[in-house]
Amino acid sequence: MPEMTRRERILTASRGKRADRLPFFHWWRHCQLGWAERECRNRGMGMAWARPSYTTRLHDVSVTEQEVVSGGVTVFRKTYTTPVGSVSYDEQREPGTGQWHGDRSWLDVTPWFTQRLIKEPADYAVVKFIVEHTEYRADYFPIEQARDWLGEDGIVTDIHPHTPLQTLMIDWVGSEGGRFFIHHAKYPDLVEDLCQAIAKSRLPMYEIAAKSPADVILCGDNIDGVLVNPRLFEKFFMPEYETMASILRPFDKLLGVHMDGRVAVLKDLIARTPIDIIEALHPPTMGDLPIGEALAAWPDKVVWVGFPGSVYALGTEATKKAALELLRDVVPGDRLAIAMSTENIVSNDNLRMVTSVLENAELPLTPESIDRIEKSIA
Amino acid sequence: MAEDKYLAALRESIVHLDFATIETAARQAIEAGIDPGTAITQGIVPGMTIVGEKFESGEYFLSELVVAAEVMKMGMKVINPHLKQADRHIARKVVIATVEGDHHDLGKNIVTTLLITQGFEVIDLGVDITPGRITDAVKEHQPDILGMSALLSLTMTKMGETIENLKEAGLRDRVRVIVGGTPVTPEFADIIGADYKALNALEGVKKCVEWVTPGKGGQ
Ligand code: B12
Repeated sequence: MPEMTRRERILTASRGKRADRLPFFHWWRHCQLGWAERECRNRGMGMAWARPSYTTRLHDVSVTEQEVVSGGVTVFRKTYTTPVGSVSYDEQREPGTGQWHGDRSWLDVTPWFTQRLIKEPADYAVVKFIVEHTEYRADYFPIEQARDWLGEDGIVTDIHPHTPLQTLMIDWVGSEGGRFFIHHAKYPDLVEDLCQAIAKSRLPMYEIAAKSPADVILCGDNIDGVLVNPRLFEKFFMPEYETMASILRPFDKLLGVHMDGRVAVLKDLIARTPIDIIEALHPPTMGDLPIGEALAAWPDKVVWVGFPGSVYALGTEATKKAALELLRDVVPGDRLAIAMSTENIVSNDNLRMVTSVLENAELPLTPESIDRIEKSIA
Repeated sequence: MAEDKYLAALRESIVHLDFATIETAARQAIEAGIDPGTAITQGIVPGMTIVGEKFESGEYFLSELVVAAEVMKMGMKVINPHLKQADRHIARKVVIATVEGDHHDLGKNIVTTLLITQGFEVIDLGVDITPGRITDAVKEHQPDILGMSALLSLTMTKMGETIENLKEAGLRDRVRVIVGGTPVTPEFADIIGADYKALNALEGVKKCVEWVTPGKGGQ
């Protein structure tokens, strides 16, 4: 049988079938371009792009941006003016933002919100107006372009924003000082009404995704069981995933959700969701659910592991040890793909070390084959 | 007995996360002549302790802990102006911060809430705090303990820099250093010379209590 391409490997594993080797890849947004990355790609590392299938257009809302000094720091203030009032947020951008890729700094960090869009109860109505006047339009060019560039070297996923509750928790109300929880306790009607409006406005976005050229639709949540406790997950997240899946399934799209936090407390609930790919799952200590245990708990799901930055910080020997431990934990290695990182830039040395462990990870993995891999890089 | 009624109302408001009743409960307690110090130590603090226990047992989640702390603050606002200087007991001090370059504050805030529940005075410097500012705060406040939080592998090195700064300022031996956050491993804490890496907030706060309890590691 001919060797699978990197794209085939990732997609085969993601559809729950056995690939020839354990797929591993680097997300473009965290990827250095240079000799080490080229070397690793020649040794089997795939690439992944996340690109949206839609653009948005606001109606009856005007948007302005100013650079202002607030609390002694220079921030960028975006103001949305609507017929029912205006709202604004401030963000602090680290050096490099806007100068290389996405909205990330040289160190790969997105801007920090220093003032949130929703600050007080009156802001909910304004934001609801914005939500209800947001139009989603299909634009498949970014996905088609990246697919053309990559060919068989990797995959392109569609990328969606946080689901409604997390849009409030992480983006619009924010969690500094636990603010979202306080708002939810004090103004439950405002929070839940806005959530419903967001959910409704997003339906066209799911329909656009269903018809997009991407094989995988990634929902950009940041699921963490401490922030998103089981009660919230069941009430606000599971129904949204059901809606997404019901729209995507007829078009044979895979639904992935970014679960980069500690999710052991949500394990049983996650098993009941229609999600196909649990993306960015981190092994302990960054996460709290060993990958083998996760695979066993979710027999109809695939895991895309995020290799932990906490390990990279300890150097190449620690990285080698953790990569081998990961293989031993997941024998025989099905329903799995490994992302070099889902959050950080990876040093050249660490990238090459993970590649050394994974380049010969033929499936099915056995304890003996992993011992051989270990000896080959001793 | 009447006193019990007022203290119970304070406790209940906190345990039931009740924004609507806490201010009235606090006002009524003061109007009934209850000593403000007693209102805190026997009303508010036991309420938060119960919330902490429910959090530990898994009955309450982070959301409840955060909301309870907010309810507590509303109660304290009513009671605090009535405290006489003599009532302000000398508590053990903790300076706490999220380190430079890092704005993750949820973990740090939980630790702060739980430390207050245990009777510590906490000076919370906030997020994105440089090693220099942390060192200055240690110099100024002379805490028993310094807590640092980092959630990014990019920023956790700032904990090491802070410890170096403390050494240079001759302060390292005067303060216990506890660190926490997901990417911070015990190995890393060892490398940078911290005294302890907390597994989670509860366990970290237990360590702090142990450090200041005479005979259990406390001076
Ligand atoms: C919520 C979250 C956010 C929120 C933060 C909201 C806030 N106000 O704090 C937002 C969305 C803003 C955010 C942003 C980012 N994040 Co973030 N985030 C998380 C997430 C999902 C949960 C963290 C959290 O709050 N948990 C709940 C709290 C209660 O837990 P905790 O902080 O761990 O604290 C507990 C213990 O660690 C301990 N503790 C913590 N500190 C201390 C201190 C002391 C003294 C003690 C005793 C104990 C203690 O007690 C707490 C309770 O038990 C984690 C995932 C994870 N695995 O941790 C990623 C994570 C921390 N984020 C990560 C990243 C990379 C980022 C970004 C850089 C990504 C980006 N977009 O650029 C940005 C930061 C830049 C930016 N400009 O926004 C990575 C860090 C990876 C790494 N190795 O560096 C993580 C680990 C995700 C991952 N899996 O890789 N994030």
